[in-house]
Amino acid sequence: MAKDILFYKLKQILFDEEWSESRKLAQKLEEVNNKIENRKELQPRVEPILNDKVDFLQQNFSSLFGPQVTRTIKTQIKESQDEVVEALYPIIGKMIKKYIARELELLSEKIDRQLDNAFSWENLWRKIRAWFGGAAASDMIIRDSVEPKLEQILVIEQRSGLLIGSFSVTPSIDQDMTAGMITALKSFASDAFYREAEDLEMIEYETFKLLIRNFQSFYIVAAVSGALTQHFKNHIDDLILDFADKVLNKKQESTAIEKEMKTYFKKSVDANQ
Amino acid sequence: MLISKKVILLGKFGVGKTSLIKRFVFQKFSEEYQTTIGVKVDKKILNIHGVELNMLIWDIAGETSSMRVPQSYKLGAHGVLYVFDVTRPSSYDNIQKELQEIGKLLPGVPVQVVGNKIDLLGDVRLQKFRASFFLEGVIYASAKEDVQVEEAFERLGKAILQ
Repeated sequence: MAKDILFYKLKQILFDEEWSESRKLAQKLEEVNNKIENRKELQPRVEPILNDKVDFLQQNFSSLFGPQVTRTIKTQIKESQDEVVEALYPIIGKMIKKYIARELELLSEKIDRQLDNAFSWENLWRKIRAWFGGAAASDMIIRDSVEPKLEQILVIEQRSGLLIGSFSVTPSIDQDMTAGMITALKSFASDAFYREAEDLEMIEYETFKLLIRNFQSFYIVAAVSGALTQHFKNHIDDLILDFADKVLNKKQESTAIEKEMKTYFKKSVDANQ
Repeated sequence: MLISKKVILLGKFGVGKTSLIKRFVFQKFSEEYQTTIGVKVDKKILNIHGVELNMLIWDIAGETSSMRVPQSYKLGAHGVLYVFDVTRPSSYDNIQKELQEIGKLLPGVPVQVVGNKIDLLGDVRLQKFRASFFLEGVIYASAKEDVQVEEAFERLGKAILQ
């Protein structure tokens, strides 16, 4: 027993310093462990390092990962062409549309330039008409080939779709039903596309267009055939606005409106011919 | 004197709204069921006590509830024909609630309720049905056999003109 005690004391003398170091080391280890496992403790220490790394990645992303990303995208496109086409189709469609519109503008300008250089009587006459009419000469050429014509005007009550009045150059199917169907179509369009605050303004066939002009309690539909030029559109807009102001806003009987429409729009159609 | 009015037909799908209009406007009936897509507008002029009533009839596609029909189709209506199928309880189970909703959306607008397809019930069953049905003023009609169709529209027309 006394031997054991002596041995222990000897150990104490010999290893005292090591034990103390070992205890300190264990304590330090526990502190480090606490810092690693405790988010609050670890965060302020790690964050600056991570931020530096993120900054470095942001600045050097293309040189570090560029080739891999390009390869991945290429493979992805090859493997799922249909999806890519579907995703790009609307964007490409818009680009093509924009391109065609721009090309048409250029063509129109080119026609104008060529006309400026031409000296034929026909061209001179066309230019005179264009000057007086306020239309571009290029519009005049198009108009000469497929001249726009006002075919029909319908004045329709907004909500009910009831026909208030109509004027038609050419015979048409039942206008009451047409008025109802156009109203239903307008309602459908605004419901289907969640456009309650907006209104349908045009229905377009190839060479036939329905221009729709909306007012508070009624709307007016102008059916136009031929190539609709901006000039003719403006003319129709002026007619409609003038008619709405002069006739419709005066709260007349339906029969009186019908009569006024015939006189008013017939005069305009005759003048346009 | 010609007065134009908008009449809409409401009711669940397959109750015979289009058939009633076909019978009323064109005197026709077809066994083939074709679901209505969106709206179809027809018209018929009725003479009610010397007044020419130009009825613009909107045949609106049936839904599981008339509240699911776009509101804009219903706005501006001067009269409503609410149709149900006498052989299909699901088409009239909720009828009171549906009529209340229509009344809220179109206050003061006359509504005529029509129980269609009575030809499928037969006289005895129809009598029992009428006796047990909780709504009053319903017109029991058959577009197939042309029973009470004209009357339904006429009664609505009269109510609109009142």
